Amino acid sequence: MDTPLNILFWIAVIPVTIALGLCATWIVRKVSALVQWRVGPPLLQPCYDVMKLLGKEILIPEQAHQGVFTAAPVIGFASVLLLSIMFWRIGVTQKAFAGDIIVAIYLMVLPSLALIMGGSASGSPHASLGTSREMKLVMAYELPLILAFIVVIIKSGGVLQLSRIAGLEHAPVLSISGALAFLVSLMCIQAKLGYIPFDMAEAETELASGILMEYSGALLAVWKLMQATMLVALPMFLVTVFLGGFGPNLNGWLIGLGMYVLVLVLIILIKNTNPRVRIDQAMKFFWVYCFLILAIAVSLAIIGNTFKIYWL
Amino acid sequence: MSWKISALKKSPWVFHVNTGACNNCDIEIVNLLTPKFDVERFGIKLVGSPRHADALLVTGVVTQQAAPRLQEVYRQTAKPCVVFVIGACACDKGIFTTGYHVVGPVDKIIKEVDPNAIIAYVPGCPPKPEAIISGVVKALSTL
Amino acid sequence: MNQEELNKKLEQISDKLIAVERPLEDRVFLLCESENSYQLNKFLFEDVPLRFVVATGIDAEDCFEVLYHYSYDQTGCIVTLRAFIRDREKPAIESISPFLPGAEWIEREMHDILGIEFKNHPDMRRLILADDWPEGVYPLRKSSS
Repeated sequence: MDTPLNILFWIAVIPVTIALGLCATWIVRKVSALVQWRVGPPLLQPCYDVMKLLGKEILIPEQAHQGVFTAAPVIGFASVLLLSIMFWRIGVTQKAFAGDIIVAIYLMVLPSLALIMGGSASGSPHASLGTSREMKLVMAYELPLILAFIVVIIKSGGVLQLSRIAGLEHAPVLSISGALAFLVSLMCIQAKLGYIPFDMAEAETELASGILMEYSGALLAVWKLMQATMLVALPMFLVTVFLGGFGPNLNGWLIGLGMYVLVLVLIILIKNTNPRVRIDQAMKFFWVYCFLILAIAVSLAIIGNTFKIYWL
Repeated sequence: MSWKISALKKSPWVFHVNTGACNNCDIEIVNLLTPKFDVERFGIKLVGSPRHADALLVTGVVTQQAAPRLQEVYRQTAKPCVVFVIGACACDKGIFTTGYHVVGPVDKIIKEVDPNAIIAYVPGCPPKPEAIISGVVKALSTL
Repeated sequence: MNQEELNKKLEQISDKLIAVERPLEDRVFLLCESENSYQLNKFLFEDVPLRFVVATGIDAEDCFEVLYHYSYDQTGCIVTLRAFIRDREKPAIESISPFLPGAEWIEREMHDILGIEFKNHPDMRRLILADDWPEGVYPLRKSSS
């Protein structure tokens, strides 16, 4: 890759990711508004929200652990940015390293851990309730998410490299086991993003904003930016693993963008047509139903890989 | 300071405080936040914690029990913030003027904590949601 | 049981009552003195049995009154027991919370607002007045302005 383009890439990647994240947040709010037959916010609304939050004072409770309280949003935001930069790099240069899918899975856990850290450092009973719910939710959905990726790894014959998974001749979702794994991972992404039906950690009406209750001002702005950037990174991950990725040429990029919008619309539709579930219902959903579906998917994938049947 | 206020005008997040109201004004506020009136066009969002809020929607004549709590909620709201006083009782005690438990209208209690508080009044018993929207938009445009 | 059987059952306690008023078909007032109110309430709640709705306190000119409202859901009949407390200096009546825990809070409210003392109440704390409201000032008595 030429040096000026390289420099351009490194300068532009973070602002472009944040801008895309705010745009994706606006898409979510606008489509939710249209689903509810109303007009919805203007295009720059998430931008105004972040700017306004940067101008408010930061209140730290007396009983909070100040170091962890301030560091938690920064850690969460940094990890999501790192994940996005990794994806852009792989997409633009088509060079990946072996085992990068493991790094991606690890980086995806960090935002949830940062939320838990921030919530428990708040020193407030509402926040600790939100933290306990978030911890149980993370324990519930992490394992099905990893299993869903293992299905794709099995189907690709044991490769652990994102660019080779994205470059498979048959996209994993076009097979039965791949489709099942895609559905399960979609629900896990819904839980990771903290959207209905799994938004019990930051339940506005029950817990007075639960886990983020004590945050205000610039720290809250960083949390909102983290949530916005997760809307870019996580569907991009799904597209890369299941739906064929962002291909090497312009055609591939356009198809990848279309797939990204499709995943986003699926997330929005699930968000708008469901009520919030209780934490024990969520755990039962992930540990019983998702595991059953994934057990079927894994066995189908192993059979398909052994006998070279691609649609299984 | 001016860019903070201009950003606040574009995205006022509201938190609802009831200091002893008969609940009529609260029902109108909850009606306001339904999709029918679509206040998200103005960037208004209901938040669950006063620390996230830019505007407090205060209803109710302030009772003796609620007065220190209202002051605490005001202190917890991150500045700069606006206080919207909704309803005739909150504006000037309304029909509860001679009640035994009434301490004062909302602006008197808030000015004890912060004499420079920005307070906007939306009278009515209860004010219609259209009146509340018009009051909020007018108040924000004069900031 | 229907209305006639209810009326016949209420006849059993008529020796403890001052009077029985029936202004409407489904509205019964039983008047009694405060000394008998505990047994009468126990009879109405356990033996008839009726559903306890709420209790009311009144500051009448020459006495205090405590009204206990019960509902008979099968016919929609409301039975009210009016207990007169003749002592205006230190009004006191037996609390019915020992067998009716649902009456605890309404008795606390009557004590806060009217100053009626409820004997044997398990948990007499301030309920609705402010934490720094002075003791001994009862807002809804006719003498307080």
